[in-house]
Amino acid sequence: MKRWTQSFWDWIEERTGISRVVRGLLTEYYVPANLNVWYTMGSILLVCFVIQIITGILLLVYYVPQTSKAFESVKFITSTVPFGWFIRRMHAMTANLFVFVLFLHMLSTLFMGSYKKPREVQWITGLLLFALVLVEALSGYLLPWSQLSYWATTVATNSVGSIPLIGEKLVVWLRGTPKVSQYTLGRFFAMHVSFIPFTILVVIGIHLLFMRLTGISAPPGTDKSKVPKVPFYPHMVMKDLASIFVFLAVLMLLIFHYPQFAFPHDALIPANPLETPLHIKPEWYFLANYQTLKLVPNEFLGILVQLLAGLFLFFLPFIDRSPERRPLKRPLFTTLATLGVLAYIALAIWGHFS
Amino acid sequence: MTRRGFLQKLIGVITGLSGLGFLGTVIGYLAPRREKGGRKILLSGDGSPIPAEKLKEVPYLVGLGIDGEPTIVVRYEGEMRAFSAVCTHLGCLVKWLPNKGEFFCPCHAGRFDANGVNIAGPPPSPLRRYRVYVTKDGLLGLEEIPT
Ligand code: HEM
Ligand code: FES
Repeated sequence: MKRWTQSFWDWIEERTGISRVVRGLLTEYYVPANLNVWYTMGSILLVCFVIQIITGILLLVYYVPQTSKAFESVKFITSTVPFGWFIRRMHAMTANLFVFVLFLHMLSTLFMGSYKKPREVQWITGLLLFALVLVEALSGYLLPWSQLSYWATTVATNSVGSIPLIGEKLVVWLRGTPKVSQYTLGRFFAMHVSFIPFTILVVIGIHLLFMRLTGISAPPGTDKSKVPKVPFYPHMVMKDLASIFVFLAVLMLLIFHYPQFAFPHDALIPANPLETPLHIKPEWYFLANYQTLKLVPNEFLGILVQLLAGLFLFFLPFIDRSPERRPLKRPLFTTLATLGVLAYIALAIWGHFS
Repeated sequence: MTRRGFLQKLIGVITGLSGLGFLGTVIGYLAPRREKGGRKILLSGDGSPIPAEKLKEVPYLVGLGIDGEPTIVVRYEGEMRAFSAVCTHLGCLVKWLPNKGEFFCPCHAGRFDANGVNIAGPPPSPLRRYRVYVTKDGLLGLEEIPT
């Protein structure tokens, strides 16, 4: 007798011919056999997104988006709900690693020149995803309504105010009131748990659709038409899984041994709108922006510099149009990009210690 | 114009107009709220008034002032002074250092003198000042100073 799963499959197959689609997506989708470890970052990012959705929905079961209750509800999750501490740490820690792996993914495609024609759309949707995840992390940061949440959000939303003419108005629009309040929590909550995740989902769809349409690049210096090909499933899936499990190991290490990395002291005190704690610092991934704002004497100039850097990255595929992808064969680009990355890291470290 | 061209235009106009109409509603729905008016006395975080007596025990008080503005009242050279506690840089709340006679902002180390004038660090302008007095019920009354 056939297994019932097989009969079920046959039943669907008979009506739809679905196996053709599955083959096209997995076993008869061929990729270059020489894809390196950097090509597995995308699968880690998908795992991050799925983890955030699942843990996020679980947090929603007990979380209350109300200023007088939010902190208590989060405390209840961590101290009373079975495994609540684990779910919360997983959500907060994955948020950090999500941004970190996004950096790796962006830098690898940058140095391998994968943003070049015909893959401009992947680069641009990728940048958009990066921005969306940052906004997602920023809006989630407010939800626990701790001292850290409250004051980090106050400073972050205020820095928008240095845009000339509309800045001040925009700050109030972002917050829903002149000061961070229940109205801010309401907006950020709605953005965090629905609007931005849905948008991210759609952009991921476009990103992957274009990847399939243009085909994945072969590593620089190799000719895609000449390298041997392997089926995506099981060969590439195996490579992806190897990276995913290394990632999960790091995630668990951080969750169990370094939770204070995601929860510094001020995250454990409820928000007090009448007292700013000492040493309020943004998350590590905003430190470079924060330090730039502090360094440039005119606030608007500080924002402008960052805006220009962002726009430059956005238009990079149209500025750098030579087909050469090998890093050593494009010394000017590689030198500038390396200096840029070093400057970014230096700014972040400076921001941390200043 | 062909029949097809006309229909295409019509679809564009109809969906465009409905979209615009809905957008207006959404903008109105999301419009920020302003908490105006209220009593012009210093309130604590839970909304209860702060007695002026309290300022004899501590060097300074922070409470909610006019329009809910976080407001700092200090004792300095025998008089009371009130300022908006909101740092003019990025909105953290300043603390009063009684020994130095200065306000200090913990976020980026901005400093203001006893008149609220920015003297060091990133803040671009002085703290807003209020007139402060003891009301007949012994509370701290605040008044805007016209600029
Ligand atoms: C897509 C990527 C996401 C990122 C990067 C992210 C990031 C964050 C961060 C940084 C926090 C603050 C963590 C803390 O201090 O506890 C947070 C809290 C929260 N997030 Fe997310 N999140 C994501 C997706 C989601 C989704 C999809 C949902 C629900 C559908 C969700 C629901 C929540 C809830 C309820 C909280 C408050 C509970 C708490 O603070 O522990 N998140 N998120
Ligand atoms: S917010 Fe006060 S110095 Fe920056």
